[in-house]
Amino acid sequence: MSHPILTVEDVSKTYDGFKAISDLNFYLFEGELRTVIGPNGAGKSTFFDLITGRAKPDKGRIEFGPPSAPGHDLTALSEYEINRLGIGRKFQTPSVYVEHTVWDNLVLSLKGPRGVFASLFKRQNSTDRDRIAELLKLIRLDAKSNWKAGLLAHGEKQWLEIGMLLAQDPKVLLVDEPAAGMSDEETHRTGELLISLAGRHSIVVIEHDMTFVKQIARDNPVTVLHQGHVLCEGKFEEVQANPKVREVYLGRGKHGTR
Amino acid sequence: MSAPAPTGSLLRTRHLEFTVVGVLLVLLTVIFPLCNAHGLLSDFTITLWGKYLCYALLAISVDLLWGYTGLLSLGQALFFSLGGYMFGMYLMLQIGMLGSYAKAGQNPAGLPDFMVFLGHTFLPLFWRPFNSFGFAALMVFLVPGLVALIFGFLAFRSRIKGVYFSILTQALTYGAALMFFRNDFTMGGNNGFTDFKFILGHSLVEPDTGPATMRGLFVASALALLLVCLFCHWLNGTKFGLVRQAIRDGENRVLFSGYATANFKLFVFVVAAFIAAVGGALFVPQAGIINPDQMTPDKSIEAVVWVAVGGRGTLIGPIIGAITINALRSWATQAYPDSWLIILGLIFLLVVLFLPGGIVSLPGKLKALRGHKGKPAEPAATRA
Amino acid sequence: MVWKLFRPLLLCTLGVCVGLLANVRAMAAPETARATIVRAILTTDDAQKRAIINSLIGQGDEAIREVFTAWRQDNLYVYSAPGGAKVPVELTGDKDAAGTQAAVRVDTGEPLKDAAGQPLRLVAKQLTAVEHDAGLRRAMKNVVDLLDLGSPLPAKRLRAVQTIGFAQKADKLPALEARAGLETDTEIKKELKEAIALIHLADSDDGVKIKALAELQELHNSSSYDLINALKVKAETGGKPAVVAAANAALVAIENHRSVVKFFGTLFRGLSAGSVLLVVALGLAITFGLMGVINMAHGEMITVGAYATYITQNVFGEGMHFTLPFIKVAIHLPGLHLTGWAYQLYFVAAIPVGFLSAALVGIALERSVIRFLYRRPLESLLATFGVSLILQQLFKLTFGSNNVNVDSPVYLSSNWTVFDVTFDWNRVFVIGFAAVIVFGVWLALTKTPLGLLIRCVMQNRMMASCMGVRTERVNMLTFGLGSGLAGLAGVFVTQLGTVGPSMGQEYIVDSFMTVVVGGVGSIFGTVVSALGIGLADQSLQQILLNPVLGKILVLLAIILFLQWRPTGLFAARSRSLD
Repeated sequence: MSHPILTVEDVSKTYDGFKAISDLNFYLFEGELRTVIGPNGAGKSTFFDLITGRAKPDKGRIEFGPPSAPGHDLTALSEYEINRLGIGRKFQTPSVYVEHTVWDNLVLSLKGPRGVFASLFKRQNSTDRDRIAELLKLIRLDAKSNWKAGLLAHGEKQWLEIGMLLAQDPKVLLVDEPAAGMSDEETHRTGELLISLAGRHSIVVIEHDMTFVKQIARDNPVTVLHQGHVLCEGKFEEVQANPKVREVYLGRGKHGTR
Repeated sequence: MSAPAPTGSLLRTRHLEFTVVGVLLVLLTVIFPLCNAHGLLSDFTITLWGKYLCYALLAISVDLLWGYTGLLSLGQALFFSLGGYMFGMYLMLQIGMLGSYAKAGQNPAGLPDFMVFLGHTFLPLFWRPFNSFGFAALMVFLVPGLVALIFGFLAFRSRIKGVYFSILTQALTYGAALMFFRNDFTMGGNNGFTDFKFILGHSLVEPDTGPATMRGLFVASALALLLVCLFCHWLNGTKFGLVRQAIRDGENRVLFSGYATANFKLFVFVVAAFIAAVGGALFVPQAGIINPDQMTPDKSIEAVVWVAVGGRGTLIGPIIGAITINALRSWATQAYPDSWLIILGLIFLLVVLFLPGGIVSLPGKLKALRGHKGKPAEPAATRA
Repeated sequence: MVWKLFRPLLLCTLGVCVGLLANVRAMAAPETARATIVRAILTTDDAQKRAIINSLIGQGDEAIREVFTAWRQDNLYVYSAPGGAKVPVELTGDKDAAGTQAAVRVDTGEPLKDAAGQPLRLVAKQLTAVEHDAGLRRAMKNVVDLLDLGSPLPAKRLRAVQTIGFAQKADKLPALEARAGLETDTEIKKELKEAIALIHLADSDDGVKIKALAELQELHNSSSYDLINALKVKAETGGKPAVVAAANAALVAIENHRSVVKFFGTLFRGLSAGSVLLVVALGLAITFGLMGVINMAHGEMITVGAYATYITQNVFGEGMHFTLPFIKVAIHLPGLHLTGWAYQLYFVAAIPVGFLSAALVGIALERSVIRFLYRRPLESLLATFGVSLILQQLFKLTFGSNNVNVDSPVYLSSNWTVFDVTFDWNRVFVIGFAAVIVFGVWLALTKTPLGLLIRCVMQNRMMASCMGVRTERVNMLTFGLGSGLAGLAGVFVTQLGTVGPSMGQEYIVDSFMTVVVGGVGSIFGTVVSALGIGLADQSLQQILLNPVLGKILVLLAIILFLQWRPTGLFAARSRSLD
């Protein structure tokens, strides 16, 4: 745990004068399950955008690398290159390929070569098919593998996107509000899944649902973002007890006009 | 459930469609020429249909981009014409001493007539290799392919998409047409190339041997179309096909799955340029002329309308669309010369407004009207 | 010979001269040119004749040219009046049966009359012809050559000075120098200096040449370039480095001046081309940029504006009639039969007519087609292209496939020249009007309630609708505004280009590019990019001397520009995934 797999240092990002992220420092270590919370407009999604290459920081350093290898400067890479390094993302609003079947959604996400010619000539082998079938079971969509993804319910789409994320087998998973639109039972199962993935994968979860946060952050660290920088970091109980955090969450009426 | 054909229903319709297209094309390749050889079909009809098939190739190239990949290119007429021009250069050099200037004894070097008219005394260097059929055939692919590669590389690299891509390809076509209209470009200026005599030693115009040559060209066009359909069908079955469709439906998401969408789009763009160019190259000897009017953005948009009318995102749609509209044109420009453009414009409007799926979607719509439920395999019906 | 022949006249002439001299009071008033010529004719001494003729140098009386021409063409005769006075006359007109011709007095230019006041007709053979020899003819020609120098019309004087300068004849120097002392017009003064310097260039003395070159360098007038260059070439072969150096310096000065003039000329033309583009693209910036509709029929809105101008012109004039195609309704518009300024005002009237007619067509298009396609931009492109085809064909069937003629009103068809740069009024007008329109659109969008509604509907149609905004109406009016602006552009392009059924097509590609380069949704971006593209287009045309190549390069440049800024100059950013 001496060397972080993901390093975010002194990063700032401004959108048309609005400081979405300011002087953010964030370190993710291998195998860690980190939960990021914060009020609306705290810059959580922008934070993911910066890591995945959707947005470029105005200043600062974002590096990715297993402790042994030399780090990659993520600010110089494009979205697909970052993804190929092993950083997968689940979006806040479920983003699946709505015109494709559930099966094809997974085929597209399955780990493997991503080049034009590979996609032309590589056929699916039985290992691939078994892996997809296994994932379908896990996300409980095996009965709907022929469905167009667009026809799934919101929660099912969330599961499908989680499945797509798993199919990639990334080193780092960035998960944005996975529980939205899920039933309590499903939310709980999502939490279990994420906890089981920790260790083998490094995971960052953004979440609003405090029950869910409590579940996954039982003995994992929580980071509170506020106005684009880290307000505090620590165990769930510590964070919950932090007066600054309380003020941010409870005293939001003051800034409610934003 | 362990390893089913996962896209079963979709795959089935695709196979059905391909079978229909294949059978029709094979019949076309065999029956039309046979009928013509035995005098059941006029030479005029064969040449006309030969041109329709070339237009169908152009339409497929549009569909490959627009229907399957979501890139509305208004530059396909450019690639069609570039292919036509490259092959036209070969045909021009085949005229040799049979041109009107040479007949009048004013063209000792056997230059194409337009060059003599412009006062050239020797063949420009870049024209010389076009004496060879093989070289010209190579250039039919290389030149449009290269233009598509360079333009596509620049456009896709900077993530120009949607309407912007359309506007840029339109500008590219416009610029190229301006260039070809110029006389000092030595590509025939606004008259272009015409008055062809021979192809591979076979006459295009002699009353006794010409029809056989035209028949040969018809068969070549039909075969080209068949091959292109085979290729597209194969492409649809690969993972490439999946990525391509994903790009159409949500390109940004594809990037986050690790695919360099620009490369995929570039590949499709270049392949589409090839297909259009082949269509153009086969079109020129059958039409007997190529000029910059074929290259304008309007022609590209027209080809898009063929696809829209036939049904985009399908294999058979563009073929139906190209043939229907062009057959309609052949008839209407004779019967109602003043109104043809108005008819064409109305077709644009009506199809876009009332039949976005094109002719291909008609049977389904009719079925729905008669109260049938959709196919049981379609989950859409079950859920909706 | 001549001398002998004229000897008998000598005495008489002298007598006249004495008489004239005696008439002191008459001398006080300046002698007219005609009188001087009469004196010359009646003088017998050749040298004196030449001297009298030369005294006319510097005068601008047109009669001199007339009389001298008659003299040289042997039409002058001396008529001996019954009283013995010798009257020089010019015989003009055809001979009648008796061989007589009309006679005009040289001294007054009036017909010669007898005592009864009746015009006299004379027979040439019975009169003494006024002779001329080579020396006299040279003197006369010299006077005529310099005649325009004294002309009361500045333009004529200017041309004369230039002509004399280019001829580089040293014998004209005194006249030029004399004129330089009298001239008050600054421009002609400059031109005189140049002409004198140019004549000095032909001097055999190198020192004079170098001095002249220095003078020309200071004047740096483009027209003397060729002469200096010729001199330079001669000096080079003749091995005169000092002259070559001076010539080079003068040439450089001229070239510099030329490039400055060219620069400002290009700037001006670029600005005006950009202004046309701006007015065309502004409408598109609204329909495409704000509403997201790809209106391929935008070019036809320009055509509507142009034909509206054409119809307005005809209504102000003789009226017109045309038949609507298909429904075969003949429309007869009676003319107002106006002339002069009232007629010229047609263009002013055409401005609102053009705007409103295009706006109405636009609103009709929006109601019938576009409102179904707000969420399908690519398909709006196809549908409106269909509309464009239909409209073009309708124009063709209504107004014919040939271009129609729209007159330039006088107040737009002249120009100013400031420091050698020509400013055409129509172009100046377009620039000014574009500025007014941009300002108007800016006001309309930012300061009016309608503008607020437009901006809110364009940002989020659904939300605006939920807030109670009548989005349908706003859409309709916005589209009408965009189309109306295209119509305004159509009114202008009648003054700069041709008016025909397919004219709109010339502008459509350029204006789409303008909006894309400016950044979709940004009016300010459109302004910058229109002016930028206009300037780039004109400069490339100047540099390459080839309009088509320039256009192609501009298109290439735009494609490359979008590499650098894919969303244009000023793009609105969004945080949504697509």
